[in-house]
Amino acid sequence: MVNDEYMIELRDVTKHYGKIRAVDNLSLSVRRGEVFGLLGPNGAGKTTTIKLLTTLSRPDTGTCRIAGMDVHQNPLEIRKIIGVVPQENNLDRELTARENLLIYGMLHHVRNRNEKISETLKMVGLWDRQNTVVSGFSGGMQRRLLIARALLPAPSVLFLDEPSIGLDPQIRRQMWDVVRKTGIDGRTVIITTHYIEEAEALCDRVCILAKGRLIALDTPDQLKRSVGDHIVEYVDAEGKLIQHICKSREDAHDIARQENNSVTVRKSNLEDVFIKLTGGRIE
Amino acid sequence: MKEMSMFFQRIEHMGWYPVFLREMLLFRRKLLKLGYLFSAMVVPIIYLIAFGFGLGKSVQLKGVGYLSFLIPGLVAMSSMNNSYTWVSSALNLNRLYFKTFQVLVQSPIPAFSIMIGEVMAGMVKGLFASSLIILVGFAVSPDFTIHPLFLSALLLNCFMFASLGVITGMLTKSHEDTATYSNFFIMPMAFFSGTFFPVDRTPPLIKAIIFMMPLTHTNILIRKLSLDHQALISLGMMTAYAVLFFIYGLRLIRKYNE
Repeated sequence: MVNDEYMIELRDVTKHYGKIRAVDNLSLSVRRGEVFGLLGPNGAGKTTTIKLLTTLSRPDTGTCRIAGMDVHQNPLEIRKIIGVVPQENNLDRELTARENLLIYGMLHHVRNRNEKISETLKMVGLWDRQNTVVSGFSGGMQRRLLIARALLPAPSVLFLDEPSIGLDPQIRRQMWDVVRKTGIDGRTVIITTHYIEEAEALCDRVCILAKGRLIALDTPDQLKRSVGDHIVEYVDAEGKLIQHICKSREDAHDIARQENNSVTVRKSNLEDVFIKLTGGRIE
Repeated sequence: MKEMSMFFQRIEHMGWYPVFLREMLLFRRKLLKLGYLFSAMVVPIIYLIAFGFGLGKSVQLKGVGYLSFLIPGLVAMSSMNNSYTWVSSALNLNRLYFKTFQVLVQSPIPAFSIMIGEVMAGMVKGLFASSLIILVGFAVSPDFTIHPLFLSALLLNCFMFASLGVITGMLTKSHEDTATYSNFFIMPMAFFSGTFFPVDRTPPLIKAIIFMMPLTHTNILIRKLSLDHQALISLGMMTAYAVLFFIYGLRLIRKYNE
């Protein structure tokens, strides 16, 4: 049955690589038009989940649906409505930026291709470098071209796998602007990241994964609220970092006042949520 | 003009064309680097000089000069090497290292289109390298001619080995494996399947093994002037191998799963 509210639905999905269980009985739903984050450390199952949803991998058990269609029963139909920005740069480095988009546009049957290629190149600020061979691009430019390529056929769902990995902070923020604009256009966007800041800045809802399992799923604010709004931190006499999670700012200041050590009071973030739920760190 | 534009639009909508075009754009860049032309020609030219001009001066085979025997064999060998190697190593690298193969399998074109595009690109590369040897053949051997069976054998050979290249490119787990397949299957085939000497005087067991090698039949067909009984058998064997390799390569692309 097609559920109009949800664009993506995973039900009891498990995927093994040899003896390693990369995704473990994962079920989640992504609403139409939301920017949805998969947050977790390396090996959490984020990229495998993207591969399962983008037809590159088949699950051992469970079902993946996009727009009501079973991903693995209708791969060609699914590929018509998705765009993928992979973690590894898979542009043709010996071709120019325009040639890369031309081939991709032909593969995806894009109409009015030349105009759309020009528009997309302008959108990501690469219009003046369109005839440059990609191997001559910086990492940031290549990442922008990857996003441009994925957006060229105007997909309904955009998958971004660790989009800002290896980018310097300034370029990362430029990339965020592109993603925000993509979300505003009404697309459903799935982002995997292990950057807390990125998940908080971009995502409407965040799913925290660890060892292939869903640990928590909610809006960033709600997730933080669930563990406590504020954190009191200090280093004790033995040099150990001590953290107190507090429900309110007042509670945090009460604790801070009682401590003789130098303390820091800060707002909680998704890393704190992850630590509380799993005992480990994301980054 | 309008008809031309519609014709090109129709070609574009066949999924194989962008796959083929991508390979051709990459190939064009390689052609501009002179190293490619040199590497495509150097091995057959060495064989031509060593066997053709060295050994061949004192050898007559079935009443014809050795050069006339050798050049079609070198064309067959060169077309095999280039069709096969280009497809297998490109697919292997694109799948395992550059991940550009994933762009193809994540696009809304069927596996059949990817297979056709890759095989046709491999054929063009094989035909390009062969045409260089053919030009040399015309220059050095006055008896060397091209006839319909020569062209049929050449085209079928390129198709057959480009399809085999897809199989190797999809099966190998590292780039080093590609070299292993080449050393164990392709290189022995280049030497023992009638490129440099006729195989009909070899011992029966070896002859039977040689008869199973696809390139043997290319070497038989490419030297035939008429479609006699032996040529028909070779044409049948080549067609069977070509269909088999194509179907298996297609199946590997269709079943691709990370």
